[in-house]
Amino acid sequence: MTTRVGNWLDERVGWRKVWDAIFLRKIPKVNWLFTLGSASLFIALNQIFTGILLTIYYVPTPDHAYDSVQFITTQVPAGWLIRGLHHYGASAMVILVVLHMLRVIFYGAYKYPREVTWFSGVVLLLVTIGFGFTGYLLPWDQKAYWATTVGTSIAGTPPLIGDFILRIVRGGDELSAVTLARFFGVHVWVLPTILLLLTAFHMYLVIRIGISAIPKRGE
Amino acid sequence: MSEEKSVSRRDFMNTAIWAIGGFISAAFAIPAIVYVIAPALQKNQLEEWVRLGSTDKVELGTPTLFKANIERQTGWIVNEEEISVYVLTENGRDYVAMSNICTHLGCRVRWISDQSQFFCPCHNAIFDEEGQVVSGPPPRPLDRYETKVENNQIFIKVG
Repeated sequence: MTTRVGNWLDERVGWRKVWDAIFLRKIPKVNWLFTLGSASLFIALNQIFTGILLTIYYVPTPDHAYDSVQFITTQVPAGWLIRGLHHYGASAMVILVVLHMLRVIFYGAYKYPREVTWFSGVVLLLVTIGFGFTGYLLPWDQKAYWATTVGTSIAGTPPLIGDFILRIVRGGDELSAVTLARFFGVHVWVLPTILLLLTAFHMYLVIRIGISAIPKRGE
Repeated sequence: MSEEKSVSRRDFMNTAIWAIGGFISAAFAIPAIVYVIAPALQKNQLEEWVRLGSTDKVELGTPTLFKANIERQTGWIVNEEEISVYVLTENGRDYVAMSNICTHLGCRVRWISDQSQFFCPCHNAIFDEEGQVVSGPPPRPLDRYETKVENNQIFIKVG
């Protein structure tokens, strides 16, 4: 039955070729460090899934943000789990992405012909950090408020244009409802869009070029 | 023993990967479903007795309007809400408390004393003094609250 449906679809959609290209591609003899990219992808999917669920209850305004987060954590069944997965997943994401980058550096995997894969990966690292920075404010507790006060102050340090940048980031002189709303908007719309597009591009390149082997002595 | 069908390493891995994948998917899907449908499963409120006022105010045989403030929690927001209740007694001992919310589409009914009937302005529904439907579209009589009287004070159970 499954095979018949699969064949029917394949004849019209051609999914088997795509499936094989993704999952049955040839790879050199590698080690567990080469799973860090897939691990990052898995956590990214976790963040997307749990993040979407959190927006079902979360409200990004100063008078409701904290209470809605407390409501999710203490009142909604499995809310603690969904929030916990998103919270700890965020830390895991940063750690895994950095380890993935270190593996690429130490194995020299960024070299020809994989420079563009590397460039897109660098932007993906910045996007991940952006996610961490904007997401940190959303619970709107003391830690979030003061961490973002400090973080945005750093954005205001460049000479001449610093003050202007600070006002853009905060949406005004002080941390306010405007700041919370724009951090939320960036966290759930802007960054996810960039993440999805770049991740697709990054993976396309990995599949198209193939992964690098572990460099040998003398190479 | 030698008749046993041998499982290739490839088939084993394939099955194992699908099994683990299925397990992880379920681990995500089940909490997610519970999380999303939770508000539909929870009971509305804790029931509590709310004091309406003194029984002295209630005229025999005439529905008398009482107002009471109740706290209603929706999600993380607690609202003060005013409810209006018509109290009727025929003998000064048994009290009936009726909601003023029309059972048709939720408009507020009011007591018209000249005609001795409740009137809903939205679709001209008419209820008699006990809340029974006289005419109009409402599907059932006015909703009633459970009542009790303590020290000449009327209480209704809200929940």
